[in-house]
Amino acid sequence: MTAEPRRLECTEVVENLYGYLDEELTAEVKAAVRAHISQCPDCFDHCQFERAFLRFLEARSRAQNAPPELKKRIFEQILLDRTRDA
Amino acid sequence: MPQTADEKRSAFEREALPHLDTVYRVALRFTGEPAKAQDLVQDTMLKAFRSWHRYETGTNVRAWLLTILRNTFINEYRKEKQRGPTVDISTAETFSLFDKVQEEDPEGRFFDQIIDDEVLQAVDDLPDEFRETLVLSDMEGMTYQEIADVTGAPVGTVKSRLFRARRALQRRLYDYAVEMGYIKRRSP
Repeated sequence: MTAEPRRLECTEVVENLYGYLDEELTAEVKAAVRAHISQCPDCFDHCQFERAFLRFLEARSRAQNAPPELKKRIFEQILLDRTRDA
Repeated sequence: MPQTADEKRSAFEREALPHLDTVYRVALRFTGEPAKAQDLVQDTMLKAFRSWHRYETGTNVRAWLLTILRNTFINEYRKEKQRGPTVDISTAETFSLFDKVQEEDPEGRFFDQIIDDEVLQAVDDLPDEFRETLVLSDMEGMTYQEIADVTGAPVGTVKSRLFRARRALQRRLYDYAVEMGYIKRRSP
């Protein structure tokens, strides 16, 4: 038999939202947050909003890859390097 | 068993070089300038290559590279950085963007209207320890423990810095979105 998740207030859910979205909560708190969100429209919306914010941040940095000339320089650098840092 | 020079080079190429884009992106956010970021990445990768014998195969190579990057930045680059932080972090905790836009745009559609440069500038303007935490988490997807390993801060500190950094960034982007007319200002 699975125990009922602990009941949380909205303020506790908001405090734990980032931990929930980052998948950093203990199983017990995660279950409690999930149970609350599934029944509280405000916290559900808040959760979706913060998720959208985090996706937006991630997307905005992904386009920036190392320039090809930098990759080439690093390849050459390690090919020619004879030093060993003991 | 010690590796030959060729073995070392090919192991480094196979394991470390795939993380070059990550190292570069983090370097960009640390330095705020592409030219400096390139120098920092080059220094980092050379140091990593030279101390490759200290890397334990199978452990987290990305965290290992980012630790070298961070130490190199702090010891050799940070003092050159001209701009200081302009985002006030001290009152960030009490700001909630969701509360501000809940009625007008609860799905955060206005995010799509904010240009990349504005977002990245807002990130760059966070104080160092908040910026690095946010970048490692939200731009590179590292766990709290990985960030703690790279930065040397306890996990609880990582968590609280991340919370405040995200809220400070939201406040800055809210002000920008209001100024640009993407959303209406809501009084507190």
